[in-house]
Amino acid sequence: MKKILTILAVTIASVLSTDLAAQTSVCGQFHRKNCAMESDKDDDREFLYNAQSKSGLFAQGSTSKMRCVIYKGMDYRMTVCCETAGSQINFKIFDAKTNEELYDNAKDENSTQFEFQSASTRQLIIELTVPTGEAASKKGKPTDAACVGLLIEHKVSDKTGFSKY
Amino acid sequence: MKIKFKNALLALPLSASLLMVSCGGDPHEGDDMTHTDTTKVDSAAVETGIETGELSFQVPSPGEMLTFVRMVGGKGNKNTSFLNPADNNKNYNDSKSKALNFGIYSCDLSYCSTFEIGVEAFKYFKVVKQLGDEIGVSTSIDASMAKRLEQNVGNADSLAAISDDLYYDSFEALQNGKQGNVLALVIAGGYIESLYIVTNLVKYEANSPGIQRVADQKYTLENIIDFLKKYQSDASVASVLTELNGLKAEFDKLKETSAGDTKGKDGVKVLGGGTTIEITAAQYKTISEKIKTIRNSFTQSK
Repeated sequence: MKKILTILAVTIASVLSTDLAAQTSVCGQFHRKNCAMESDKDDDREFLYNAQSKSGLFAQGSTSKMRCVIYKGMDYRMTVCCETAGSQINFKIFDAKTNEELYDNAKDENSTQFEFQSASTRQLIIELTVPTGEAASKKGKPTDAACVGLLIEHKVSDKTGFSKY
Repeated sequence: MKIKFKNALLALPLSASLLMVSCGGDPHEGDDMTHTDTTKVDSAAVETGIETGELSFQVPSPGEMLTFVRMVGGKGNKNTSFLNPADNNKNYNDSKSKALNFGIYSCDLSYCSTFEIGVEAFKYFKVVKQLGDEIGVSTSIDASMAKRLEQNVGNADSLAAISDDLYYDSFEALQNGKQGNVLALVIAGGYIESLYIVTNLVKYEANSPGIQRVADQKYTLENIIDFLKKYQSDASVASVLTELNGLKAEFDKLKETSAGDTKGKDGVKVLGGGTTIEITAAQYKTISEKIKTIRNSFTQSK
């Protein structure tokens, strides 16, 4: 098994000549590189990367919304980050059906990380308001735009919660 | 929803590992509660073809569902009988079947990674690479990703995550290449394959996590349909959209009840409210058969 997968890995490396840099955009994997918090590294719980995570290049001061799906029986950890310095990202969560506000980090000491479960599987609207401030200059990116990342991680809830799924 | 052109340019979606699309759903269509006023047609996006990013939506990866099934159903499963045989690749000669089956094979690769079926993973990687080249996606794996894969041999979670990366990096390449219609077909293929696999693995048992996860796909399907609507002027997308709407009609028959209160463990906050979707054995059978019909129409196309 190990041998086969090793061969697979080597094959991947040899047959692909893709210039990923040419395909990725300005902010690329910003959320992966910048959103993880120091305290997460000492967390021995096994949160997995969730593919609904995203990075984007946005006009500073603008608000952006995204709709995602979360499942009952799972723990989620959402972390936001932005390249502008000295500013706070406003981070809100709404129920997509009712528009009920479920979380606002302004009421949580402007925390950039929120860990939660949900009483039901549902669609959520994540609203991010990007702060203004000095952003790094980079080829292909206007200086008045900023990279923003939303890192979503998940894990199956502990047994007691899961049994009630 | 008026957006200054400059802002529209600045708000180009740039995710490297996600599906991020402006939503083109009609807020007044049907009686579906999810089509609230938060789901609006972005006029700037429609007129300019630019993704403004003002409202986007994400779709959980097929791999996430497969990982969940592995957790609840055991790691020992090695059944590959229901996957699309890699040899079928030679039958896909038109752009529609290539795109659909790129998504399907990517999901099959994810399945083999998730369940540590190394020999098959190797086969599916090759067809994913080949079809990826043919639809304009030089599969997005760089040297560092290959190194990650090598370092994580024997770690199913990590292999599954790497498969996810391949899947979504391909999405990004299609987005950057303005191939939204192809992307729509890839998403549809991958999603239907994940449902097909799960309904083959999970037998009906009331209140089981696996069955509930299938019922919950109602929400993800809605996201995918909204995305496909944006490209329905493409005949291939339109035909797939018709099939997915047929599946949605079955999901719409499922009963929804208010979710009860749940207490979090160890101080974890619980977002209350929402609804629980209920599915009967008969409904599960009907939905499974519908999924099978759609999936076979994708894999048997030539």
